[in-house]
This record gives sequence, C-alpha cells and structure tokens, in this order.
Amino acid sequence: MNSFLIGLIAFIGTFIIYQISKRMYQKKPIPFTLPIFLSTAVIVIFLLFTGIPYKTYMIGGQWIDIFLGPIVVSLAIPLYREIHLIKKYAGAISIGIFAGSLTGVFTGIAGAKLFRFESLVIQSIAAKSVTTPIAISITEAVGGGSASLVAVFVMIAGISGGMFGPVILKICRIQHPVAKGLSIGTASHAIGTAKALENSELEGAVSALSMTISAVVVSFLVPVFLAFM
Amino acid sequence: MKYFIMVLQISVLFLFNFIGQFIRDYFSLSIPGSLIGMLLLFILLILKIIPIAWIQTGIDVILKDIPFFFIPVTVGVVQYLSFFQGKGSLTILLVIVSTFFVISISGIVTNFIIKKEEKSYE
Repeated sequence: MNSFLIGLIAFIGTFIIYQISKRMYQKKPIPFTLPIFLSTAVIVIFLLFTGIPYKTYMIGGQWIDIFLGPIVVSLAIPLYREIHLIKKYAGAISIGIFAGSLTGVFTGIAGAKLFRFESLVIQSIAAKSVTTPIAISITEAVGGGSASLVAVFVMIAGISGGMFGPVILKICRIQHPVAKGLSIGTASHAIGTAKALENSELEGAVSALSMTISAVVVSFLVPVFLAFM
Repeated sequence: MKYFIMVLQISVLFLFNFIGQFIRDYFSLSIPGSLIGMLLLFILLILKIIPIAWIQTGIDVILKDIPFFFIPVTVGVVQYLSFFQGKGSLTILLVIVSTFFVISISGIVTNFIIKKEEKSYE
C-alpha cells in the first residue's frame, strides 16, 4: 500500500472515531467518555491489537498535527470576545492566574525531581496545566521532553480537574463563579472549561479566559523554573 | 464560496503561526512562536485593524472541535506504555496532586481578592 493511502485511512479513521466519541459524550457526559480520552483509547487499543506501529499511523496523523500551532493562534478569538471580563475583574484574575500557574509549574517540577525522574520526564511534566498545543510548544521551546508524554500529562491534568474540581472547590469554600471558573481553567485547560460551561456561562467564559492567559504565564515560567530548580 | 472563505479564514491562523515562529527564531525567544502569533492577532483585533467578523466563522468551526487535533499526538502514549507500567505510573499521581494544588490555590486567592474588592465598594 502506498503511503498516501495509509495516511488517508489513518486520517479518515481518526475523524470517524472522534465523531462517534463526540456522540457518546453527548449521550453520557462523564470524564471517561470525553472525546479526547475515548478516541485516544480506541486508537491505542487498535494499534496494539493489530501491531501497526505508531509511525505508520502518523503518516496520516501528521496531517492533523500541523494544526497544533494554528490552534494556539485561534485562541485569540475567545480571548477577544471575553475582553469585558478581563477589564471588570482585572486585579483578581491576574493575581489568581499567576498564583495558579506558579503552583502548577513548581509542584510539577518539584514532584518529578523528588522522585528522581530523568530530565525528559521533568521537562514534559512542567507545562501540563495548559492546553495541549501550547504545552507541546513550550516543551519544544525549552528543547527537551516528549510531545506525546506532554499530551498524556495534559490529558490527566484535564480529566482529574474536571472530575474532582467541583469537590475541591466545595472543600475550600470557593463560591464566587469567577473564582470557580478561573481555578478550573488554570488547572485543567479545555477539559476543565467544558466542565465549567456545564455550571454557568460566566464560569465557562472565565475558565476559557484563564486557560489562555495561564498558557502565556506558564510559557514564561517554565524556562525560568527549569533553569533554576 | 462559503467554504472558500472559511479556508481563507483558517489560513490566517497558519499565517500568524508562521509570523510568530519567525519572530521567535529571529529574536531567539524561549516562548513558543504560536503563542506570539496568538498575542499578535489578539492585539490586532483589539486595535480593530482586523475586524473579528472577517475571520470568525471559519475559526469557530475549528474552535468547536479542538480536541480532534490533539488525538494523534496523544495516541503517541502507545510508545510509552512500558514507562507507565513501571516507575512512570507515579507521574500520574504526581500530575493529579499538582492539579489539585492549582485548583485550590488559584481558587482561594481569587475568591479572597474578589470578596475584598466587593467589600470596599460597599
């Protein structure tokens, strides 16, 4: 089979699996039916079962990968739409996001160092609180880590925050919708934002805003912390 | 025609990504080029140099299905299965604990500041 045909099958297959996962999530919205989790799990199991190497799958996968950078750019649109929120809560939002981003980068690197993981793992874990394409770009910019490890850590941060975020907010008595949206967006990026949107439009908007701003903050923090920790 | 315009709108994203990469390489910065491109587009939107109506319909199509684009890179975990079966499984716990810290600390800080600000208005 020529490589164009293999690529086409991988691309179309991924698209169909994603569409089915989306339907499943609409029917039963629990963390394990999240389209990114379900689609990934199905494809991983398929590759393991058939023995098809990841490299072969990526002949088509790389056509999708080229969108990772442009998608980061596209986040300028929701950021622009929420500009009234930035103005209204400027002080609280900037301090809150900075505190959260700092916590995420510090605890991630410190924990990985504590358990004596090699630098590949430390670099891959540092940016795990921000959305996948930015986390990958940050890791590539510091010249290390593995894009796939980054993507998996980002997914774990997203799902765990989406699952247990509401409980943590309750324990810490965080009631203001802006504070709730901000903390979920800063910790769990797009997956957290999807969860915040279920609660209220305001919470979702703040979460979307926070995941974007925290991505900018984290991209400045990661190189500094990796150099000095 | 409608789809042609959408493709053009989406290619704006590629253009800004490219410009961002160029700026990053030219000044050898350590922040990602895509992020520089995003900030650049954001500034041009605020200054109304680029009206949002020119680009939003095509980009909204992408924004709606962002997770799709993360699938191939996440599937890459298949190369690390042995890592997660061994000591690497600790990283899962590590990421979860770190995430809980981020939620509680950013939430408490923000909640505190908002309450304080609202009190000072009374």
